[in-house]
Amino acid sequence: MSLAERLPALARFIAEHAQATQARIVHCQPLTGGAIQENWVLEVELPDGPLAGQHALVLRTDAPSRVAASHSRAEEFALLRTAHKAGVAVPEPLWLATDPAVLGKPFFLMRHVAGVAAGHKLVKDPGFPIDRAWLTQRLGQELAKIHALSPSQPDLDFLGPPSRHPARERITEYRGYLDALGAARPALEYGLAWVERHMHEPVLITLTHQDYRTGNYLVDENGLAAILDWEFAGWGDPDCDIGWFCARCWRFGAVDQEAGGIGARSDFLKAYEKASGRTVDPDRVRFWEVMAHLRWAIIALQQAERHSSAQEPSLELALTGRISDELQLEMLRLIETTDPIESGKE
Amino acid sequence: MSQQPNGADLLNTARSALLQHLLDELPERRRYLARMIANAMAIAARELELGDGVDRAELTSLRMLYQDPAPDSSEDVASRLEALNRRLCSDIRQGGFSSRVDEKRLRDHLRRSVAARVAISNPKALKV
Repeated sequence: MSLAERLPALARFIAEHAQATQARIVHCQPLTGGAIQENWVLEVELPDGPLAGQHALVLRTDAPSRVAASHSRAEEFALLRTAHKAGVAVPEPLWLATDPAVLGKPFFLMRHVAGVAAGHKLVKDPGFPIDRAWLTQRLGQELAKIHALSPSQPDLDFLGPPSRHPARERITEYRGYLDALGAARPALEYGLAWVERHMHEPVLITLTHQDYRTGNYLVDENGLAAILDWEFAGWGDPDCDIGWFCARCWRFGAVDQEAGGIGARSDFLKAYEKASGRTVDPDRVRFWEVMAHLRWAIIALQQAERHSSAQEPSLELALTGRISDELQLEMLRLIETTDPIESGKE
Repeated sequence: MSQQPNGADLLNTARSALLQHLLDELPERRRYLARMIANAMAIAARELELGDGVDRAELTSLRMLYQDPAPDSSEDVASRLEALNRRLCSDIRQGGFSSRVDEKRLRDHLRRSVAARVAISNPKALKV
């Protein structure tokens, strides 16, 4: 059954939770989103109750093809609620429906946040009126707020006990992915061997976003509007998020702007350090940048496999597979810069 | 004897037609797809032109790494390449190439072979 046919049930659900006598869904249209979830923008009118008035909401539910590694909608709702309570800029989560009676599948509603997320626009468009230096600092501060959440949040029990050694766990996971793909990729195999030799225990374990990068936050005329895409969040090494954010593969071509293609790495780190009270070790960030390229290079192969296995034929997935080579090359360059071997020396 | 114009030529010509004559006629929401199609055609054309040479060069480099005997004429490049790459993966995972001398030889081989693949998939990324 389509969402359109479910609208009366959805309106009743909203009215009940907003403590209104009724809810009118004036407008409803799909938002372009990822392959993992389906997002709808709803314009809702509430005649009475504490929230009387007009509201722009986003409904988030599962798309037909789910990625097993990502969180369920109920889990994502809990993450958003925790982040929102902690003062992180996120769309305010409103109500969760786990009962399939309403839509036939679980979903939640959050407030709609307007803004631009597209990486190319944020990084390069000279006509886009943002103060990029200010945005860089805001991104550092916001990440510090996420990392202030330690593994004692009762609402986040589903994340499981934190790993004592996230880097080691990742390496094992990535080797498993490569084996499942059945592809012989010596550069990735070498990257994994190198990170295994250079890994370290984390300085601390915090909530980590795991996909904190340009493209996954919304910017409006006032600056940073919301951090999006919490579906991979979990306990981890906070330096991992910093490395992912700064990795060259997420600079959308603005390679000199090392903080997400938006600004200077030093501005980002200074704002982060000031907000978190923690000094960041640049070597550890480098390590996680190598990990970032490894992770993305392997995910790119997995995306291509979804196409090649005829599970989901798609030009976009097929082309993503071809990105893996340049990610591997960048990973090799990073390793060489971080750990140079001089010729003729042992 | 190969047909003229060859496959790469056809792809490049078709790609130019798409970009020069069709792209502007398309509605905005379809242009991303058109650019992806143009990109796929460019990759396929480069692969037709460079692919065999890249495979042979990678095999030569792997042979040097392993001091593998010279090929006999009946050998199939693709299957030998696959076999040596599997061996390399397994050796790396088992801790091989860990002395600095071997690690340097390994890195040189990997950089060469990955860069040759990037010359097919996205030559712009070769510039640092």
